[in-house]
Amino acid sequence: MTPERPTATSPVVAEAEEAHLPEFVRRIPVGPYRALNPVTKATLAVVAAILAFGVRGWTGPAVVLVVVVSCAWTAGVLRRMAPFALATLPLVASILVVNTFLYPGAHDTIAKLGPLSPTWTGATTALQATLRVVAFGFSAALFALTTPVDDLLVELERRGLGRRGAFVVGSALGAVPSTLERAREVADAQRARGMETEGGLWRRFRGLVPLIGPVLFGALAEVEERTMALEARAFTAPGRRTILRALPDSGRQRAARWLLFVGSVVAVVVTLATPVRLP
Amino acid sequence: MDLLQRWVARQFTTRVIVMMPVAIAINIVLGYTVQSVLKLPIYVDSIGTILVGCVAGPLPGAITGILSNLIWQYAPGIGAGSSIGPFAVTAGVIGFMAGIWGYLGVFRSRPASGLRLIVPAAIAIAIIVLLAARMYTIPQYSDPGMGYPSWVNVAIIGIGAAASISVALFVYLRRDAGGAWVAVAGAVTGIVAAIVSAPIAAVVYGGVTGAGTDVIVAALRQGGADVYNASLGQGLLSDPIDKTITSFVVFLILAGASSRFLARFPLGDRLVRVEASDANDAGATDGN
Repeated sequence: MTPERPTATSPVVAEAEEAHLPEFVRRIPVGPYRALNPVTKATLAVVAAILAFGVRGWTGPAVVLVVVVSCAWTAGVLRRMAPFALATLPLVASILVVNTFLYPGAHDTIAKLGPLSPTWTGATTALQATLRVVAFGFSAALFALTTPVDDLLVELERRGLGRRGAFVVGSALGAVPSTLERAREVADAQRARGMETEGGLWRRFRGLVPLIGPVLFGALAEVEERTMALEARAFTAPGRRTILRALPDSGRQRAARWLLFVGSVVAVVVTLATPVRLP
Repeated sequence: MDLLQRWVARQFTTRVIVMMPVAIAINIVLGYTVQSVLKLPIYVDSIGTILVGCVAGPLPGAITGILSNLIWQYAPGIGAGSSIGPFAVTAGVIGFMAGIWGYLGVFRSRPASGLRLIVPAAIAIAIIVLLAARMYTIPQYSDPGMGYPSWVNVAIIGIGAAASISVALFVYLRRDAGGAWVAVAGAVTGIVAAIVSAPIAAVVYGGVTGAGTDVIVAALRQGGADVYNASLGQGLLSDPIDKTITSFVVFLILAGASSRFLARFPLGDRLVRVEASDANDAGATDGN
């Protein structure tokens, strides 16, 4: 390793950063939320998850929901989050029904509906859990909609993630749609020769084997080839890759990241371990 | 320190690095299909995790599990509305345990016959029965205050019996004593997974996760079990079955893969088939 080797802080990269790659190579996002560094957005998503799940009661999830929705509004993706809200419906329905009607040990019945007796305690718990799920779901959606995976990986690699980690995450994200596509093809093919995917439990259960086998063996067959390809391209060579594409970051964002993270952990510890109880 | 570093480095060869994303995709796709599309009361979202764990070691297994759940939750398209993210902890534990099973050589095919086939199978079935009995005697189940419905014990006995018979049949038909150890490893993994999952499900989601397993949770609550115990009860019913099935699937994949493919993984030497002639030095090769 020569001392001139370009690293993230060396002049070569700094110049590239300064020159701002032309827009047809890389469009730098603008706007108060979108312009944030991907790592900041990731930190926001993590903090949202910690607060929504860690701070009990109404406060944690409500605060997260408000912040996430206003960020989404600023970023102009509020409308595109609607399908995500719809997707939480089965989970939310399950939480509401099971908790409201079958909350163990609760006797403050709302009304008597035949054999069922919904309770206030159950309903409160259900609504709080729903709020948590929705707040967390929205924060995940906001992150997914506004952060290109490539950008995040590049930034993380610059901060020392290592090319192995970047490869695993990036490649897995790419492999999900292609494997899903393969599973769909296999399912169609098996249905064409008579596999049942609808009907009773046992019938659906039996449908698993002819589905899993081909998907698995197909995916594993690729491992050998890709290993060769990576080895041939010096994947295991020592040293770090130089990354030319640099995304803007600032001292303020760095401070904000640490503040948010530490703040959320403190908030969780305070509400869990001390008598302080938020509504 | 140096030893630790080498231990870590040995588990992450290029082949393992390539295998991990494939395994993550397998977990997500099969899990999504089984839980959200087929709505079965099992998960089938850890085949990739257990596969990586037992061919590469505990760390790659754990990382595969954790990343699977996180990527699943945050992946655009299928992650929305799923409740999988917080269970990354469970997935990590499952992968780590799979690595330990890999070190112990649990997933190795062991063609055998005669006593060498019957003794391990008997031990394995005994362990399954013991685990089932242990669950049967969990005080909560019989405590009327906990209020599990009366069919819980019947279900446990049924599952225990079905599992024992399937293992016996599998071992006998394939003449492979390895199946017995796989069943035990799967059942133990499942019980640990259930114990790790229950508090997550109870605290984060109020006990229900929007998957097919919610039916069981609802049934247990109908009987009067509290939030945590209903989740634990559901886990103890679903997880051992799920992980045993998953472990068998992994075992069949490994048995179907070529020795050349397996031997190149870090734990390859613990996976490749013990030849019948080595296993039975008495020479009882049974005509294969």
